[in-house]
Amino acid sequence: MNVLEIRNLTKKFGDFIAVDNINLSVAEGEIFGFLGANGAGKSTTINMIASLLRATRGEIELLGRNIAKHNKFAKMNIGIVPQDLAIYEDMTAYENVSFFAGLYGLRGSLLHERTEEALQFVGLGDKHRSFPRNFSGGMKRRLNIACAIAHRPKLIIMDEPTVGIDPQSRNYILNSVRKLNDMGCTIIYTSHYMEEVEEICTRIAIVDHGKIIADGTKEQLKSTITDTKDIWIGVKSAESLKVDSLRNVQGVTAVRMDEQILKINSKTEVNNLNDIIQKLIRDRVEIRSVEEQEPSLETVFLTLTGRNLRD
Amino acid sequence: MKDIIWLIRKTLISKFRNKRSWFLYFGLPIAGALLSMLLYGNASGTDLRVGIVNEDGNQAITADTIQFVGELKQVRVNATDKTSLNQAIEDGKLDIGIIIDKGFADSVRSGNPGKMTIVSIKGAQVTAAVKSMLQSYIGNITAIGKETSGDQEAFDRIYEGYRQPSFKLTADTVKDTSSTKSVTYQTFGYLITFMMFSAVNMSGLILREKENRTFLRIFSSPISARTYVLANVAVNVIIMLLQIVVTLFFMRNVFHIDSGVSYIEFVPVLLLFGLSSVGLSLMIVAFAQSGAIAGAMQNLIITPTCLLAGCFFPMDIMPDTVRRISNFLPQHWLLDTVNKLQQGNKLGSLYLNLAIMAAFAAAFSLIAIYRFGRNNDTRMFV
Ligand SMILES: Nc1ncnc2c1ncn2[C@@H]1O[C@H](COP(=O)(O)OP(=O)(O)OP(=O)(O)O)[C@@H](O)[C@H]1O
Ligand SMILES: [Mg+2]
Repeated sequence: MNVLEIRNLTKKFGDFIAVDNINLSVAEGEIFGFLGANGAGKSTTINMIASLLRATRGEIELLGRNIAKHNKFAKMNIGIVPQDLAIYEDMTAYENVSFFAGLYGLRGSLLHERTEEALQFVGLGDKHRSFPRNFSGGMKRRLNIACAIAHRPKLIIMDEPTVGIDPQSRNYILNSVRKLNDMGCTIIYTSHYMEEVEEICTRIAIVDHGKIIADGTKEQLKSTITDTKDIWIGVKSAESLKVDSLRNVQGVTAVRMDEQILKINSKTEVNNLNDIIQKLIRDRVEIRSVEEQEPSLETVFLTLTGRNLRD
Repeated sequence: MKDIIWLIRKTLISKFRNKRSWFLYFGLPIAGALLSMLLYGNASGTDLRVGIVNEDGNQAITADTIQFVGELKQVRVNATDKTSLNQAIEDGKLDIGIIIDKGFADSVRSGNPGKMTIVSIKGAQVTAAVKSMLQSYIGNITAIGKETSGDQEAFDRIYEGYRQPSFKLTADTVKDTSSTKSVTYQTFGYLITFMMFSAVNMSGLILREKENRTFLRIFSSPISARTYVLANVAVNVIIMLLQIVVTLFFMRNVFHIDSGVSYIEFVPVLLLFGLSSVGLSLMIVAFAQSGAIAGAMQNLIITPTCLLAGCFFPMDIMPDTVRRISNFLPQHWLLDTVNKLQQGNKLGSLYLNLAIMAAFAAAFSLIAIYRFGRNNDTRMFV
């Protein structure tokens, strides 16, 4: 059975269509990635699943039941990690988790047990009595997650849980996502970080302007792009590089710098490697490596939406 | 119900963990009581100004009676005539007037006292104190009259003996409670102002939770909007009640302010006012988009209306227009109720005042509910 089934879902804010006739199903045990640029409609969709927004049209089923008709059932089975931190700074970590879990009816020793468990799970087991106002960004994010899982929901929705945190906390969170998944939770995961999604998601949907424009495993998504290839050129420093001159090279569709790597998208059928390298040499850029690759997920996204995931 | 208690519990815990809450909820009203005592609580009490009109000539009994009143502690006596007496009382230049009509001495002597009127516009209590002391004084003389039943000589003899110092009545202090009443009134003026501020502070939690997103997080759980608001209101009412009880306790047991009325009677009256504060605060929250706007609205609404209703200054000094405006303010009705209680009215007879306060509470709450309901498209509801 599908954990989540979305049919013809639309949300309008006035005349503005934030979510445009989305159809989607998420099977049990999936880690489902939701990729989209700023304002694509990810959070709006998630808020409708969480019953925080009323859909303008369409329906959502959770575990086979319509969430509008079985609202309490739906809410009991969803754990939401909001994009914006939703924790009380003036309550301890323990009190935060315990309060939110209590909203789902847990009390007494069971509540205590689950609270402990959730705090352990996100690596805050030794921070019971600390107040979040003294936490780092990563610790707050982890607490935010603990608050969403203590009541053991079937479906956990994480709206950009790793935004603005240190790599260590990020790895911790990604591992927790996998662990939750191993324990039987189905997960919906949105992120601005392509690598994360590529790393942990079993299936990915790409959203743009409120529409799902592609969905499938990463392999499936990559195979939809046959006319574009990636050229990755390792450089020492690109300060002297005139990016515009590269864009003018025949066949090149996009150029961007990522750390020390110059990432170029180019039409598959054009052989332009010589031209590109010539330009680089003329601009006195020191080349360290050159690779031609299958299109990356980033390229897929860029090709389909015409924009970068991160601006 | 279980959910409401869960929410109430959390709110109370985090509220009372914060020292600022203690200051706002209890510190300020107590400070208000202290300030009122400084302003109005002239601890020794002011002298009572008594005017006496004597139309009974030079009779010994009459002269002695006038002297008796003059010897009461904290009483200043002026002899005057009827018209100027009435005028002086109306103007507030006198607190009490005693009119002794012709034949007063004779009526006492015959054992059937009459021909004396006491007038005042100050609280019934002051008059009562003077009256009761006068009565017991005159009663004693009357007893002599009765005993001697018309025997002039016997009366004079016994009366002469009665006037000897060994028999003399101790002159009592007539305690003017009007100053402690002003203290009570003023303390309540401050108290209800702070109650209104605390109510908005408490309802403002809704806006603060919206701003720190916990609001939406709560509604992604099975908690309904109604449960959430009910819990907030419940905490608000609990805090109002605590504020009232603590302030009254301090007034009575720490500052020893004699309010002139049983303190228990103030509790339901103040609580009723508390409900209209809660209603008002919900209304503010329903219309304000953010905590900052609510803060501005609260200052714009509460402070001026409290001023107009006489929370900071006694109503007597206000011009008539202001008094009329204040009829439209719940604070006025609370203070009016307190005044009437102090004048000796029973709580049960003040149902009009109580009904008006209840109506304010209901009207504010309904407007808030209507407004909450209109915001519901996004189900963000508030
Ligand atoms: N309450 C609202 N009223 C009007 N417009 C809204 C509202 N909420 C969202 N929008 C608009 O809907 C669009 C989708 O927003 P949404 O938050 O779903 O995007 P998102 O994909 O989550 O973006 P991000 O990556 O920035 O979180 C945006 O253009 C946003 O401005
Ligand atoms: Mg978002």
